[in-house]
Amino acid sequence: MTVMVAVPDSPEGRTALSAAIDETRLRDTDLLVLNLALDPLDVVGMPSDLPITVRERTGHADLADCVLAALDEYEGKVDLLVIGMKKRTPIGKALLGSLSQRLLLEAEVPVLAVKR
Amino acid sequence: MSPTHDAVPAVPTTPTPGPHNRRLTLLTVVATFGGLLFGYDTGVINGALPYMTDDLGLTPATEGVVTSSLLLGAALGAFLGGRISDRRGRRTMILWLAVLFAVGTLICTFAPGVGVMVLGRVILGLAVGGASVTVIAYLSEVSPAERRGRLVTQNELMIVSGQLLAFICNAVIGGIWGEAGGVWRWMLVIATLPAVALWVGMLAMPESPRWLASRGRFGEALAVLQQVRDAKRAEAELAEVRALAEEDRAAQTAGWRDLAVPWIRRIVVVGLAIAVMQQITGVNSIMYYGTQILTESGFDRDGALIANIANGVISVLATFVGIWLLGRVPRRPMLIVGQIGTFSALLLVGVFSLVLPEGVGRASVVLALTVTFLAFQQGAISPVTWLMLSEIFPLKLRGLGMGVCGLMLWIVNFLVGLLFPILVAGIGISATFFLFAGLGVCAMLVAKAIVPETKGRTLEQLEREFKQAGDPAATAEVTR
Repeated sequence: MTVMVAVPDSPEGRTALSAAIDETRLRDTDLLVLNLALDPLDVVGMPSDLPITVRERTGHADLADCVLAALDEYEGKVDLLVIGMKKRTPIGKALLGSLSQRLLLEAEVPVLAVKR
Repeated sequence: MSPTHDAVPAVPTTPTPGPHNRRLTLLTVVATFGGLLFGYDTGVINGALPYMTDDLGLTPATEGVVTSSLLLGAALGAFLGGRISDRRGRRTMILWLAVLFAVGTLICTFAPGVGVMVLGRVILGLAVGGASVTVIAYLSEVSPAERRGRLVTQNELMIVSGQLLAFICNAVIGGIWGEAGGVWRWMLVIATLPAVALWVGMLAMPESPRWLASRGRFGEALAVLQQVRDAKRAEAELAEVRALAEEDRAAQTAGWRDLAVPWIRRIVVVGLAIAVMQQITGVNSIMYYGTQILTESGFDRDGALIANIANGVISVLATFVGIWLLGRVPRRPMLIVGQIGTFSALLLVGVFSLVLPEGVGRASVVLALTVTFLAFQQGAISPVTWLMLSEIFPLKLRGLGMGVCGLMLWIVNFLVGLLFPILVAGIGISATFFLFAGLGVCAMLVAKAIVPETKGRTLEQLEREFKQAGDPAATAEVTR
């Protein structure tokens, strides 16, 4: 069983990643990091004692689609999705939609949503 | 680590002569007819416009519309062209573009009035914009790696050559049949010849191997590679082509949402600024209205048509110099020196148009200054622009980044083309040039403030700089 974490290029992404690392330790399992940023994830700062796989985002312009597609691909293997959340203004939400809302509603595994 | 952006015009290494090499040369020649048509169709209006104004009764406003409607079409063509050629294939797309070039040319040639003319110009614009993205993609996908770096600048060379060709044809036709009615129609119709050559030539050319690979058609991709590489290399390159097709897919990763990230937004803003800066110098006011500027300064119509050839010649020569310079000097100083040169020349055009009496003397000074302007523009600003736009975006942002910057470039080009005759009629030629000189000074200050040096640096180094620009603390964080 695996923990999957979605890491966008933001402070929330970093919060999600550290929460996911704690959760992986607690469950004594491995971690699948889905890098949603446009640059490679800096793996130097991550703990070396955990089995961590990094998956880059390609081909999906929409972040939620990208996470949901990855979940489909690892169906049955991933039993927890970790995401970061932040408060968005109504205008920001109308313009870009809410990534966390879509994932909370559409992901078929339990979702751990962490606030900063 | 990605390779550093260095000496771009890479020296072609040991081309093993053979049938595959001749085939590749032929293919390059055929495809660059697309670039030539791009140049001819944008440049021909320069000499045709004075005659067209008499025949069709154009006002400054409709002159602007006739000239710039092509650019509006081009913005749309560049925007849609990429998607269509991704779906249908490069070769198919270029064949259709050749038809579009011919149809647009014929509509313009036989246009009875402004309405039909504008329709024809928009159709031509669609072809020009489509060619600007598809021909580059096709050539870079069939060429071996060592030639690839030079293609962007080579295409630029074909465009200015097309413009020179148009200026020469204009002068010859205007000189010989200038008194006959509707002479501009003959100037325009010549563009059907390279369109036919492009169409016939492309029929015999193969589809891009990388496009075939991106569709999973590896057998066909290998067959094409065997035509344009020697046998040993073809096999080896199929793997590379596959990897590049993957990379192309990765380049389409970013979407609008990614602009929410500050450092991404900063890169896109710099890209947009570079695109605006290339056009805001007013270069295309000279490429489109050069003959009229010279007529207004004091040459007669035939004299202006011939003198305008100098503008075309200097553009071609300066492009050669620019390609040579790119490999030797840093990009940022080259851009800024180019900007200082262009706005100084524009300022002087304004001053001399004000102080010298109208006549051959003033016209000669103006010609010398537009030539100086074009030397700095085509020898420094334009080559740096194209290269920098291809260098600043990280791979996953490249599709979106190049797309919006290309669109921006066409839009500013459109506005300059539309407004120039209106400005000249409204505030006079010297005030118009003062205006462009002022915009040039602003552009230089912006360049000084925000454009990074890309030569000799990796994408990673650039990314780090863009991240630090807004948030010095970000680098101290552990995970990113």
